Amino acid sequence: MEFEPMDDFERDLRAAMQRRPAPVGLKRKVMERRAKEHTIRRHERVVWWERLAASIVLVSVISGALAWHNMEERRKGEEAKQQVFTALRITSRALQQMNEQLTQHGKDGE
Amino acid sequence: MAGNWQPEFEQLVDEHQSMVYSLALRMTADRGLAEEIAQDVFLELDRHLGKIESPLHAMAWLRRVAMSRSADALRRRKVRGMDLWVEMDESHGAQTELRPSPLGTRIESLLSTLPEAQRAALVLRYQEDLTPEEIATTLSAPLATVKSQLQRGLKLLRSKAAIHLKEYVRGI
Repeated sequence: MEFEPMDDFERDLRAAMQRRPAPVGLKRKVMERRAKEHTIRRHERVVWWERLAASIVLVSVISGALAWHNMEERRKGEEAKQQVFTALRITSRALQQMNEQLTQHGKDGE
Repeated sequence: MAGNWQPEFEQLVDEHQSMVYSLALRMTADRGLAEEIAQDVFLELDRHLGKIESPLHAMAWLRRVAMSRSADALRRRKVRGMDLWVEMDESHGAQTELRPSPLGTRIESLLSTLPEAQRAALVLRYQEDLTPEEIATTLSAPLATVKSQLQRGLKLLRSKAAIHLKEYVRGI
C-alpha cells in the first residue's frame, strides 16, 4: 500500500489524524509526579544504605563475638592443658621420689 | 550512556507531549485515560533516561512505550468490562484542544471502532507517517502482519465510511 499514491480518503484520514495538542497542565503534572518520584527514590536509597550499614554492623558484631568466643575457648583449653601438665609433673616428681626412697630402702635392707 | 547526547527531560516532554497524548487518545478514545497514559509514559522515560542515545531514539522509544501502555490500558479496561469507546468529542477537556473538522471527527470516531491491531497500525501510519517497516519495529510485530493490518484496517475503514459518512465522503 505504501507504493500506491494516496487517494482522497487517505488524504482525509491523514488530515483527521493530525496530532492533537496535549491538554494544558500535562507537562506540569508530569514534572510534579517526577519530583515526587525522585523524592521517594531518594528516600528508598537512604533506607537501602541504612539497611546495608545496619547489616554490616550486625555482621561485624556477630563475627567479633564468634571470634572472641573462639579465642576464649582456646585460652581455656590452653589453661587446662597447662594444669594437666603441671599435675603430671607433680605426679612424676612424687613417683620419682617414691622410687628413690624404695631403692634406698632396698639398699639399707641388704 | 552511548554517544554524547545528554537528554533534557523537560525538553523531551515539551517536544513530544502532543505525540504521546495523541497516540494514547487515538488508541483509547478516552481523554482522561490518554492523559494518564501520557504521564506514565514520560515518568517511565525519566527512569530510562540514561539509556536514551539520541533524539530519534527518544522519539521511537516514546512511540513504542505509548502504544504498549495504551494496549495495556485497553486490556485492563476490557477485563473490567467497561465500555470500550467513549465519544471522541465529549466535552471533557475540549476547551483546551483544537477541534478537528467534522469530517475529521467522524473519521476519527470510525477509526475508534476498528480492531485494536488495525487501529494501531493506521494511527502510526497516518498520524506519525511511519513506513510499514517502522510500524513493525514500533509494535514488535512481523512486517507481513503489519502490512496486512494496514490493508485490512484501511479497507474496513473505507467500508464503514461508505456507510456512515455518505454526506461527507463521495466515491469510496
